Amino acid sequence: MVSFERYKLKNGLTVLLHQDKTTPMVVVNTLYDVGARDENENKTGFAHLFEHLMFGGSIHIQEFDKALQKAGGESNAFTSNDITNYYDIVPAQNIETALWLESDRMLSLAFTDKSLEVQRNVVIEEFKQRYLNQPYGDVWLELRPLAYEKHPYKWATIGKDISHIENATMEDVKAFFNKYYCPANAILCISGNIDDSTIRENIEKYFGSIQGGSKPLRKTPKEPKQESFKIKIIERDVPANAFYYAFKMCSRKSTGYYLGDMMSDAIGKDSSSILNITLKKELELVTEINAFITGSLDDGLFIISGKLAEGIDFEELDEQLWLKLEEVKNNGVSAKKLEALKNKISTAKAFQEQGLLNRSINLSFFELLGDANAINEEGLIYQKISHSDLVLFANELFSKNNCSLLKVSKNAG
Amino acid sequence: MLDRNKAPLPQKIQNIDFVRPQEIWINSSVKLLWMQNVPNDTSRIDLYFDAGLRKGRNIIASLCSSLLFSGTKEKNTTEIHNQIDQLGAFFDIGLSHEGVLVSVFALKENIYEAFCVIYNAIQGDVFPDKEIIEKITGKKEKHKINSGKVGFLAQRKFQEKIFYNTPYSELTNLEDYDNVTKKELVEFHKSAFKNGLYKVAVVGNLKEKEVESIVKKCKNSCIDKPLEYYKNFCNSPGIFHIEKKSAVQSAIRIGKTLFNKTHEDFFDFSILNTVLGDYFGSRLMKNIREDKGFTYGIGSALAETGGSGYFIIGSEVGIQHRQPTLNEVQKELETLCSIQMEQNELNLVKNYLLGQMLKSADGPYAMMDLFLSVDAYSLDMDFYNQYIERIHQIDTNQIKSISNKHLQWETMSVVSAG
Repeated sequence: MVSFERYKLKNGLTVLLHQDKTTPMVVVNTLYDVGARDENENKTGFAHLFEHLMFGGSIHIQEFDKALQKAGGESNAFTSNDITNYYDIVPAQNIETALWLESDRMLSLAFTDKSLEVQRNVVIEEFKQRYLNQPYGDVWLELRPLAYEKHPYKWATIGKDISHIENATMEDVKAFFNKYYCPANAILCISGNIDDSTIRENIEKYFGSIQGGSKPLRKTPKEPKQESFKIKIIERDVPANAFYYAFKMCSRKSTGYYLGDMMSDAIGKDSSSILNITLKKELELVTEINAFITGSLDDGLFIISGKLAEGIDFEELDEQLWLKLEEVKNNGVSAKKLEALKNKISTAKAFQEQGLLNRSINLSFFELLGDANAINEEGLIYQKISHSDLVLFANELFSKNNCSLLKVSKNAG
Repeated sequence: MLDRNKAPLPQKIQNIDFVRPQEIWINSSVKLLWMQNVPNDTSRIDLYFDAGLRKGRNIIASLCSSLLFSGTKEKNTTEIHNQIDQLGAFFDIGLSHEGVLVSVFALKENIYEAFCVIYNAIQGDVFPDKEIIEKITGKKEKHKINSGKVGFLAQRKFQEKIFYNTPYSELTNLEDYDNVTKKELVEFHKSAFKNGLYKVAVVGNLKEKEVESIVKKCKNSCIDKPLEYYKNFCNSPGIFHIEKKSAVQSAIRIGKTLFNKTHEDFFDFSILNTVLGDYFGSRLMKNIREDKGFTYGIGSALAETGGSGYFIIGSEVGIQHRQPTLNEVQKELETLCSIQMEQNELNLVKNYLLGQMLKSADGPYAMMDLFLSVDAYSLDMDFYNQYIERIHQIDTNQIKSISNKHLQWETMSVVSAG
């Protein structure tokens, strides 16, 4: 059980407090309700580039990290297609330093040309490191636009193309900040060894006077229901043929998310999963096969990916894979397997909740979904999943018309 | 009125209470460490085996550690994995030069049983042919994929140069995968796993009886005399480049032979290493990333081996930035040797390190890991109190002199790929 308190400041900032007296640390976690899905199609990669700029100095503070390090703390952030999340981890007695820093960059950034110039280059190097400079690195750059036609999930967080990052201007940066980085669009979660008698006062002191702004209206283009099978083949200099089957599934908020999560564990998480046992061990068609979900806030993807064994062609795999999926649609998952999956989820959750940072990020994320207390409820949702839930889910999910297939074919040279 | 220009005054980090785990000797060389006080239902058991790369041919050590659950006389691999799943348990296998670490994670009510399944699977491993072939195929493919990564290429060359002329410099090549016999695996397994257990660490609120049973069970596979590690490394200095035509980035690895926690310079060098490249505001990050934008990240570390250690700087930079980055790194090392650092900067690093120390001692798992990391060198928790004391005491002059002692550019092995 993760206990917490929730309230709102007058300016609209949502505050979550989670006390844990067993740790000497405090985590200040700030989630902004903005991600790559909010970007303009001609200026992609912006939410993430912006995350970098948030460390480039704020209106009163030249260097974000310096003050934090001086207080014995550290910080980092991540951007997804849905959210941008920042966190500071500091010794509990220095919580004010984190509040001071975090509130100042919510108030306003320094907007220096140097910071924009350098971070553009840093992000371009990140683009190369993650997506261009390794075998299969660009798969998601190809798969997203294949699976999504209208929804902004069709581009990756890093952006569609390096040129979008190169062309980002200071004007873009300022407009983005003004629109999305206001208290009304943020959730502040403070957890750890906090002093109950002063924490509210301190939050008010640093965040209370920031202009609230208004929560931007989200007009995300809706992805039309997929009507037919899509396929794309790309040739790359890779050692083995690889496949990525992407099935459209529901949004994070719907219970189908939990079914998808469990189903992906069942068929393709580790060596005891159904596809690993059948397609890899028994039939020897693949050298690896995995299933996972993107878990995105809007309608997400259920992915089955893997690499073909030497001498096996895509068609052989395709035929057998669909046969196996048909079996799952007909028979679901055995009672014993279902129990094992639930046990593993319980263990994983207990370990996740061990970490203060995890708790902070999860509380903030669930609050964004509607209620931070869902952190305490999702365990039960998993435990309640039945055989017939999974069968129903499989039948909705695993159809050819709901599938996009990307093949990465190794070129002869 | 709040003055936002003024930073809140940082408070001193209070004393850290380092808690030792309980020690139970399994035989005269092997002990079980137990951190019992855990405020939740999670638990972990670590099994350390003398089964590292140093113990035999790389390919055999690496295959053996990844075939630990390949099947016993009684159970095939799928049955073993199903049993682990049923208990809601997870495991992790880590291989280094010095050993293999098998970690089991489960809720405390299942951990003992999960341990038994895993321990029995490891001890009774019969290496079915089919599993060996499947694993070799998989590993070969991973090897091919990795060979397309500049980081992998640079790391291999670096390993050759840093462990120069010692068994540790052996690399696994593609053809090695076709040159493996079951007999070799079985023999390796016998000495490395059936008779190679050298430490057990338990975190979790287990029952006393369960821990006793673990001790009893482990008796049969323990080593019978203390381990000895290779000590005499000397890196081969120089500049080495591996060309990879299609690369858009170059991987860089720079380093030299140094030492581990047992060396008198360890504290000072660790502090120096932080200044240079071990935090976000480090000299390398500030210069190469935050000023020049050459890379997404650059860092340095002092990596330890059982009997020695080495210093390493690593980064991936745009190919056009390779030479400029090497120049800048050289400049940063020379600056540390020639110009005394500002007191302000050192104070910041001191505070940062103390904060990190506090964080790394947060909770029973972290505390166990701290202990394991000194126990590996026969040191005790007092090591950390001494380190904290040294952090308080060290001055800018001492940073300069430790730089001069260990950071001479000509002594470095400088490797790049891309």
